[in-house]
Amino acid sequence: MPQAGQKDKSLFGLAALAAAIAAFPVLVPNPYYLNVANIIGLNTIIVVGLNLLIGYAGQISLGHAAFYGLGAYISGILTVTYNVPPWPALVIAACLTGVTALLIGIPTLRLQGHYLVMATLGFNLIVNIVIIQWDSVTGGPSGFPGIPSLSIGPWALDSDKKMYYLIWAAVFISIILALNLVRSRVGRGLRALHSSEIAASCQGVRTEWYKVKIFVLSAIYASVAGSLYASYLSFVSPKTFDIFCSVELVTMVIVGGMGNIWGVLFGTAFLTSLPNLLHAFDEYKDVFYGLILVVILIFLPQGVGGAIRDQWQARRAGKRPATTVDESKEESGQPLPPKPAIACGGAADLPATSTSTNTILRVDGITMRFGGLLALAQVSFDLPEGAVTALIGPNGSGKTTMINIISGIYRPQEGRISFENRAITGFRSYKIAKMGLTRTFQNVQIFEHMTVLENVTVGMHAGTRGEFCASMLHLPNITREEKEIEQQAWEALAFFNLEDRAHWPASGLSFGQQKRLEMARALVSHPKLVLLDEPVAGLNMSESREMARLIAKLRARGISVLIVEHDMNLVMGISDLVVVLNYGRKIAEGSPREVQRNEEVLSAYLGRVA
Amino acid sequence: MATADQLVQFVVSGLTTGSIYALIALGFCIIHNATGIVNFTQVDFVSLGGLMMYTFFISLGLPLALAFILAVAAVTLAGALVERLAIRPARSRAIIILIFITIGVSILMRGAFKIIWGKNQMALPYFSSESPLIVFGAAVLPQSLWILFITVAVVVVLHFFFNRTRLGKAMRATSFNARAAALMGVNVNRMILLSFALSGALGAVAGIIIVPITTLSYEIGVMLGLKGFAAAVLGGYGNSVGAIVGGLLLGVLESVGAGTVSSTYKDVIAFAILLAVLFVKPSGLLGYGDKERV
Repeated sequence: MPQAGQKDKSLFGLAALAAAIAAFPVLVPNPYYLNVANIIGLNTIIVVGLNLLIGYAGQISLGHAAFYGLGAYISGILTVTYNVPPWPALVIAACLTGVTALLIGIPTLRLQGHYLVMATLGFNLIVNIVIIQWDSVTGGPSGFPGIPSLSIGPWALDSDKKMYYLIWAAVFISIILALNLVRSRVGRGLRALHSSEIAASCQGVRTEWYKVKIFVLSAIYASVAGSLYASYLSFVSPKTFDIFCSVELVTMVIVGGMGNIWGVLFGTAFLTSLPNLLHAFDEYKDVFYGLILVVILIFLPQGVGGAIRDQWQARRAGKRPATTVDESKEESGQPLPPKPAIACGGAADLPATSTSTNTILRVDGITMRFGGLLALAQVSFDLPEGAVTALIGPNGSGKTTMINIISGIYRPQEGRISFENRAITGFRSYKIAKMGLTRTFQNVQIFEHMTVLENVTVGMHAGTRGEFCASMLHLPNITREEKEIEQQAWEALAFFNLEDRAHWPASGLSFGQQKRLEMARALVSHPKLVLLDEPVAGLNMSESREMARLIAKLRARGISVLIVEHDMNLVMGISDLVVVLNYGRKIAEGSPREVQRNEEVLSAYLGRVA
Repeated sequence: MATADQLVQFVVSGLTTGSIYALIALGFCIIHNATGIVNFTQVDFVSLGGLMMYTFFISLGLPLALAFILAVAAVTLAGALVERLAIRPARSRAIIILIFITIGVSILMRGAFKIIWGKNQMALPYFSSESPLIVFGAAVLPQSLWILFITVAVVVVLHFFFNRTRLGKAMRATSFNARAAALMGVNVNRMILLSFALSGALGAVAGIIIVPITTLSYEIGVMLGLKGFAAAVLGGYGNSVGAIVGGLLLGVLESVGAGTVSSTYKDVIAFAILLAVLFVKPSGLLGYGDKERV
């Protein structure tokens, strides 16, 4: 199991880190190096948090120096001016910084795109100017002195060496918390939204909230580092927290390798000590710093950590680099052996009841306009429970728009959608997914940077619960839930014949396999209704036949299916009910046979020849 | 409360700095349209313009007009070099990597400026007379008129270039759809090179014309450039009309705000406006949000 392997590897990494931390002050007693090590440690805490934001959620912040500064200044001012003891001051600073991040994050992260970069850049500049100008409180440009050192019980942490152990203990804890988070349902949700926010949201990931939460978390990491910094140096000045510092922090993430916690540790150590190493170059220092940065980014865009990992993976996988496809192993040319029936749907023991009269989804008078274009006009239909319903029509007739409305991506101007007799019109995708309604996409939306197995585990997001705090602390219920998620994922992979590809990067799959992967992802959480948007488009004949078999199997398990498809052989072969759209209007509805004989359908769509 | 005369004064000086922000914002905008990235060396193009002007005009004693042209040409070349040496060889086309390459180059350039021109403040004289003219009760520096005049001239030339010339149209085509443009025979790499050169020229003009009013140092462009960035966001990032409107508006708001509210927090005003825009209408005043197709 990869999870177990990964765990061993990171346990080894953590043990090595702990040993290095313990040994360093003994091997290098020189206080100057101890001081550099402390600054590296503080930067590492910020960068580990920032890496969660950049490497996992794909959001960039150019304001983390401001959060670092807020932590430092709030701690300093509370302890000196208001005589608050240092530890409570640290906690208060972390809370205030977290709330600030929340206020910036909510308006900017509800949108897709890189608005956070711009907002945090402006925020950092403002914070810095305010610190400089508001000298009655902050001490102004000359800084804020006299901050008391932290103490643990009766021991004051008043030397480089004592602070060294505290700072690096904090680094150690922050790495463990981050590793736990990354390997959890939350971590996979973040990586998924990094690849495709829409697809992630259709698996039940509440994307905007996840982005906000990870941003707040990373700001709290920075604030804690700031408080430690303030009590370590007993003096803070605005220069340390300017926009260039923010840029440097992000650079540490990128040079180390985004999304690679160990690489980031290296990036931080390297770039923090680089100015010291370049000291000999004196005035050429900045030029060399810039040059080294540019060269690394040009030639090692995946970062130093990423480059090492790629090398290592390539060697482990024989000579084949991890991302190329070995087409010779493609089995789709031959008919597949029938797979044993594994409970993919939770309703495996339900009889196949295509004649059921219950309605699972009711579409009632839906109208959707895009500017002046009327995409859907007053369309209504009912989906019978346990049946395969096809939505067909010529290109541009509004089929995919309908799927997007049902799955909560678009909000219609008029009409109602109800799922199991509950109105879901205007619900967000993640909420609809959690109710048991999932989908696939016309232009496949797999999470390319994740493995096949990981893709499917994201599909379990809808049915599971573990959130940020529980995941970071790796509480016992998380362990149980993870086991369950993995087991379900393997079953879904087996059902869709993808078991032997489980550890491949999803981008390495053939198109047909990617389509099956999407279906596995949509079905792993045992939905009641699944929307399939052109499941066989672009597939060859045998792949299409295989897909038809799989859809029939879903129906046999009692899962209701709504399928949008142009392949009439498939549609007429597997559907119980066919709904026909043309220019945004419903022109026919009935059994495949009825629809095939319908005059209007023939003239509008299938053509007279048929 | 400010009098009407003062208000006119604030608006005039706001339009002056606003023109500078507009030129810088246009530079950000052109590179964004060609490549999708935020080019942080834009900031240093502004500094380099002023520094080159100093070298040609003061150190070498060339005539004003010639020094101006040579300084702009030098920064245009610098812009092209940034693309050729740092952006084109990049192994990854990921936006974030390219953005941080420009940040690295920016650090490098500033380091180099510090070595070549030193850390000291320098000054350039006004282009013409120093005695202010009185317009509607406001004292206007002749340099302000130069700035407004040159900005208008640059905008007119750019408008002509992008709408009437083959090359300009090819650049626009590239910004709409690089692959389609390439299939139509447009050399996309050359268009990207050109966009960096053009942005260099715009930054240089901004730097050269503002420096007589401010002072000159190796990092003069940083604050101006960041405000130019804010102006671009205000207008709708990537929208050239928005860049001009955003620049002028930001200049005026900042100047009026500094005059009536607080001059200590003048710089805060510009970035507070940036945040307000992002919170209320993130696509900017003239931008349209882009929707992902499913």
